[in-house]
Amino acid sequence: MAAQPDYIIEMLHITKEFPGIIANDDITLQLKRGEIHALLGENGAGKSTLMSVLFGLYQPEQGIIKKNGKEVKIKDPNDATELHIGMVHQHFKLVDVFTVLDNIILGAETTKLGFIQRKEARRRVEELSERYGLKVDLDAKVEDITVGMQQRVEILKMLYRDNEILIFDEPTAVLTPQEIEELMATMREFAKEGKSILFISHKLNEIMEVSDRVTVLRKGKCIGTVNTKDTNQQELSNMMVGRPVQLVVEKGPAKPTDVVLEVRDLKVPSHLHKRDAVNGVSFDVRRGEIVCIAGIDGNGQTELVQGITGLDKVSGGSIKLCGQDITHSTIRKRNENLSHIPEDRHKHGLILDFTLEQNMVLQRFREHPFQHGGFINNAEVRKYAERLIDKYDVRSGQGAVTVVRSMSGGNQQKAIIARELDRDKPLVVAVQPTRGLDVGAIEYIHKQLVAERDAGQAVLLVSLELDEVMSLSDRILVMYEGEIVGELDPKKTTAQELGLYMAGAKRQGKGEKA
Amino acid sequence: MKRNRLVTLYNMDATRTVLASLISILIGLAVGSVIVLIVGMSSSNLSAKSTWEGIRLVLFGILSTGRDAAGSLTFGFNPTSVGNMLFRATPLIMTGLSVAVAYKTGLFNIGAPGQYLIGTMASLMLALGIPTETVPAGIVWLIAFLGGMAAGAIWGAIPGLVKAYLNINEVLASIMTNWIAANLVTWAFDVSNFKNVVESTKSAYVYKTTFNGVETPKFGLDQLFPGSQVNGGIIIAIVIAILMYVIMTKTTLGYQLKACGSNRHAARYAGIKDKQSIVMSMAIAGALAGGGAALYYLSGNTEFYWSTYQSLPDTGFNGIPVALLAANNPIGVIFTGIFMSMLDIAGVQLTALTPFNEYITDVIIATIVYLSAFSLVIKMLLNGRKKHKAAKAAATEESGAETTSGEVAAEEAGKIPDEAPDGTDAQPAAEGKPPEDGAPEKGGEAK
Repeated sequence: MAAQPDYIIEMLHITKEFPGIIANDDITLQLKRGEIHALLGENGAGKSTLMSVLFGLYQPEQGIIKKNGKEVKIKDPNDATELHIGMVHQHFKLVDVFTVLDNIILGAETTKLGFIQRKEARRRVEELSERYGLKVDLDAKVEDITVGMQQRVEILKMLYRDNEILIFDEPTAVLTPQEIEELMATMREFAKEGKSILFISHKLNEIMEVSDRVTVLRKGKCIGTVNTKDTNQQELSNMMVGRPVQLVVEKGPAKPTDVVLEVRDLKVPSHLHKRDAVNGVSFDVRRGEIVCIAGIDGNGQTELVQGITGLDKVSGGSIKLCGQDITHSTIRKRNENLSHIPEDRHKHGLILDFTLEQNMVLQRFREHPFQHGGFINNAEVRKYAERLIDKYDVRSGQGAVTVVRSMSGGNQQKAIIARELDRDKPLVVAVQPTRGLDVGAIEYIHKQLVAERDAGQAVLLVSLELDEVMSLSDRILVMYEGEIVGELDPKKTTAQELGLYMAGAKRQGKGEKA
Repeated sequence: MKRNRLVTLYNMDATRTVLASLISILIGLAVGSVIVLIVGMSSSNLSAKSTWEGIRLVLFGILSTGRDAAGSLTFGFNPTSVGNMLFRATPLIMTGLSVAVAYKTGLFNIGAPGQYLIGTMASLMLALGIPTETVPAGIVWLIAFLGGMAAGAIWGAIPGLVKAYLNINEVLASIMTNWIAANLVTWAFDVSNFKNVVESTKSAYVYKTTFNGVETPKFGLDQLFPGSQVNGGIIIAIVIAILMYVIMTKTTLGYQLKACGSNRHAARYAGIKDKQSIVMSMAIAGALAGGGAALYYLSGNTEFYWSTYQSLPDTGFNGIPVALLAANNPIGVIFTGIFMSMLDIAGVQLTALTPFNEYITDVIIATIVYLSAFSLVIKMLLNGRKKHKAAKAAATEESGAETTSGEVAAEEAGKIPDEAPDGTDAQPAAEGKPPEDGAPEKGGEAK
């Protein structure tokens, strides 16, 4: 293929092998100047590997990379930076205890006689931040700012280095709907200015909305590149998964019975400020229904769940689970009647350095038959783990003895889901259970949650994704600033109306707030 | 076929760990030999012959049987040396276990010297304070041993409590409790009446426990190694090591402590009491160090130099290299503990038979202390290719790629990986050194 001048980056016939697996098999990706090019694929399809090759983290066995028609060698990220290639990683690479400004200039500091010229740097960053509407607080420490702002810091880092090829690795996974909107607008702005964007995602609606062209990868192979205009979500998801995928959750009407969880006037203190993050919340969850807490991130959902599950102490109100008052019970006591799919799977959900089988019995290691006379019965643990792995299709390198850290995010999440659902408790608390997962896995998890409901369990779902809220729940409770501002029926409401409640523009009942 | 099996063996993680430790030891011995060589060549008092003898003693001191009639070194099985080696290994194994068990549960126990001192105080006071006229000596021994462990446990629990409830790093808290222990023990013996004033030059020593008729049973080991100080303590230490191995790998307690050590948040989420677990880990570590002190001083033939307020016992700090060389495996600690005390014996032989002094072996030990921190690096080098490949294979799964690329980017930006606040890595090993350097006098020396 002759080099065409309108391609700024060409990755031609890239093959990257790892022992036992071909991560990228003869993949060709051509990026036009000023376009937003989406890279779509399931977890493990080779998207990140391909981008790592472009960013100089891996050397391909075969294939070449061209910039503006000229072959280039990218041996490490410094080469990539020199070629003005920048990347926003899915997990940000920021120094938590540095200020935003210091993070942006880190590694590209302007110095005079060895002193950092912060004033000059500040002027440049402020200018960039204003031009693109990327609001950041330059003097705040990274650990104190929201995930959305951290991402803006990462973007400013790329701009500060005059990058013209911007790689976004699943940038929306951690953002709220509003922040996603802003990001999309920013990306379009960049494209208009002639910057070229590679956008890794497995969220079809975002790809449809923002990209010009899409390249689909599946199991390391390039399935094809299509113009976004000429395709639709269903076609893309079929290309990605290799089989027709149900994008809409299929479920019958809910048949709610007894109340399982009774929350009354609950108050949970905040970690960030002195006020209560959850401020007088009351609701019930009954057997046989999926109740969803909707809301923009940071409106008290996390604290609500931590109050219910016992990770945080509550400052007022009461919680009843299966008729027992658990307001001040230990976590272990609460675990007797609830399963919890936690928001942060690395912090709470898994012990990454333990094996898969050890993680499968995280709550149950004291139970019979896993424990006998204070000793752990490894044979039983293995048997149990293998059953779960099989039943829930958890994929890993070495099966039950795989160290969880080495597993893909999707499979880590599946392991948690397997562990929690198999404990078979009356209440399932699921917090963003599909975050960062691909359509195939999402379809699977949704089915599992509906199956739990149909088996007569109560499901309390916390989700930031409007689509998920609308399609999965039987009842929606909208949280805004620590309070429940509305209860909606997903069949009778629209995403727009829900959005108004989430943004605080609308509220039901007590209108005490001015 | 056979080759394949060798390759599999080489690829096993355990093999590499052992290999890495052996390499550190070999480098340590090589450095020791080179130092003997340099000293020998630069000193006019030393002939080439005695330099060569020095090197032989550094390497094979444990087998030295003195000199024959012709004046040349003889080697062979020396029961006295072997017995003394086992005797000196006993407290090292215990402090090694103390560090290793804490490390397995995510804690760096640099407080072993303090726990050892407190254990010393408790067991000596109990062994000398309870009159054997009324209580049988065997019972007194048991009370003193358990008392030493209990006192160590309490001393270890303090940094544990401080960490669990106030989130203060256990390394800082342990360093402080070490010096508090040194002063406390000095004061306690100063006001006590256990001072050995029978021999006028010995006012800063505490009576041997045989003064009260208390000593560790020999279990027949004195028959096996005649003329040595060996006693049943080594057997007790080995049994405890095996016990710790079983507890850490096979029991729910071990699971719980390890879970809490590798991810406190997830342990809490699962209903494990994280604060209790941290205190428990440190208490166990303290009990092991305290028990080590009890086994050493209850032997009956050791005197304790109590004026220790300006130094901390080497045995406590040497637990760190013992544990690191053993890759924190309780069973491995038995062997590395014995190895470290073997070097000690080599030093004694060196002093006795050549113009060199035992400080050469201190240099070797110091080299190994530093290298034991490097043994993780050596393991990484051995793993180098394999690990690289594995990481890349994992990278085909999306999250794997994040971690690897993350590391690279972190290095690039000079950033500390985010695990740092929670996990204690191997680096503090080097920090274990300075106080030792500043301690010219040895805490309690065998007489």
